[in-house]
Amino acid sequence: MRAARTAYPLKWRIMDALEDVAAAIWPARFRRATPYLMLLPAVLLVGLLALGLIQIADTSLRTLDTTTFQFSDDYSITNFRRALTEPLFLVVAQRSLIAALIVTAVTLVFAFPYAYLMVRTRSPGLRKFLLIALFLPFFIGQVVRAYGWLIILGNQGMVNEALGLVGVAPMRLIYNYPAVLFGLVQYMLPFAVLMLAPALTAIPEELEAAAGSLGANWVRTFIHVVLPLARPGFIGAGVVVLTLSLTDFAVPAILGGGSQDFIANAIYDQFFRTSDQGLGATLALMLVALGSILVGLVFALFGAGTLAMGRSRA
Amino acid sequence: MSGSRSKSVVLWTLVTIALVTLSAPTVVVLGASFTGGNIITFPPDGLSLRWYARISQASDLRNAFLRTLQVATVCTIVAIPVGTLAGIALAKYAVRFEKTIQIYLLLPFTIPLIGSGIGLMLIFGNAGILGQLWPVGIACCVINLPFMIWAVTASATGLDPDLELAAANCGAPPLQVFFSVTLPAVMPGVITGSLLMFILALNEFLVSLLLVDARIVTLPVLIYNSIRSIITPDLAAISVVFIACSAVAVFLLDRLVGLDIFLKSK
Repeated sequence: MRAARTAYPLKWRIMDALEDVAAAIWPARFRRATPYLMLLPAVLLVGLLALGLIQIADTSLRTLDTTTFQFSDDYSITNFRRALTEPLFLVVAQRSLIAALIVTAVTLVFAFPYAYLMVRTRSPGLRKFLLIALFLPFFIGQVVRAYGWLIILGNQGMVNEALGLVGVAPMRLIYNYPAVLFGLVQYMLPFAVLMLAPALTAIPEELEAAAGSLGANWVRTFIHVVLPLARPGFIGAGVVVLTLSLTDFAVPAILGGGSQDFIANAIYDQFFRTSDQGLGATLALMLVALGSILVGLVFALFGAGTLAMGRSRA
Repeated sequence: MSGSRSKSVVLWTLVTIALVTLSAPTVVVLGASFTGGNIITFPPDGLSLRWYARISQASDLRNAFLRTLQVATVCTIVAIPVGTLAGIALAKYAVRFEKTIQIYLLLPFTIPLIGSGIGLMLIFGNAGILGQLWPVGIACCVINLPFMIWAVTASATGLDPDLELAAANCGAPPLQVFFSVTLPAVMPGVITGSLLMFILALNEFLVSLLLVDARIVTLPVLIYNSIRSIITPDLAAISVVFIACSAVAVFLLDRLVGLDIFLKSK
């Protein structure tokens, strides 16, 4: 037996040692708790965010003394009162909310045909092309993409140069609301398509053929068959686009040029320009609440759609 | 695809607009980086690689890029074990409070990035670790972790519990079952997830902006800080670094697991 032991490959001996260690610190009778052990690191890591929220909540209750630039030790709700009454924040909140709704609607209108064509096409080449055209910008950060739009739409940008060649005076195409909306739609399209595509794959093509053979034209087939069945995809895509555009920072900052601030920009300014961390934290907390309420509302009304993780359920 | 001519006209019109919108910034940044002039004009002043020569000389850009790589590496190394274990646990076991845990693990997506970023900035500030690079990597890992968990749970269809039982029945102890049966079954998900984590951390802007200072600025933040009203081609040449990274990531994703994996329904 001893001699055979030395012929054991090193890898086996390491594995055996590891098994022994594992058995010593996590005996078989703990087996029922194993999934919780596996979840623990993720729970702890995400716990950083929970801690962060608590810290934000604490900061939001402290007011800044503008004469000494010290934060108060006792709690007060002054910041919340200011956040709710100062007209600037109301304007910013309104601008972000309306933008989020418009961007969600427009993005879904363009994402649906894209996802549909990608899923239904018979040509593998076209499918791959559409996938690459989707993933390439998805993997390029917001800053670079917004910079691309500056080159195209800027005051000395390509569009204005081209217009100049035919004698049209330069137009102001950026630093306005539509430019921010446009940039956001471009940023959101890959998210929306990727959330929609699995839901469309799940719809059997035969259902469309059946609707067609029963006399429905393609518009009716879409309205009565495809769109209702794609609902989980629309919910997932809608929620993601709505919350991401509501809380975006980079696109309003770069394409809005400071004149089209969203809530995130206002929060950033409170922290790094005005240095009123308390008010900034208050705004951040209110944005978290607003986002959660929106998501909760959608989930309560329509279910979690394609956003559910874990085992598939009926 | 079944349907009439009008259907394909409508579909293709919308898809073409989407395609142009998606590709325009990439194409334009690529084109601008090769311009011969000092400013970006239309039509361009000839072709040259001078801006690439310029940025390869600039040590601040190179350092910023190396720091960004470091952040992305930390993020991915942390995300792989954490996300894989959590993903397998959610996919394989009937966990008590499963719904609650799911909602909790989706916190990184439900809390807006600015909120997550500010919260982490406050915690890291209290812990006295602000101004280092690894916390930025951890932050990028936290905010994108659901992607990793998703990728793993999505590939758990390849995980047949009978195979694990069979391995155990043949005498394999728990760790061996995990490494020889469970892990290989979810490998496509692990690869997809880690590629996503790496590329998203490479591009992460807002959380980086909140957590870095002038000494450890990352490349996306550097580009953002350099964007002024005058558009110079050197910025375009740096941006091409990101386009190249994105192209590599897409290529790898397609080669290793196939892009079609994102079209599969759960």
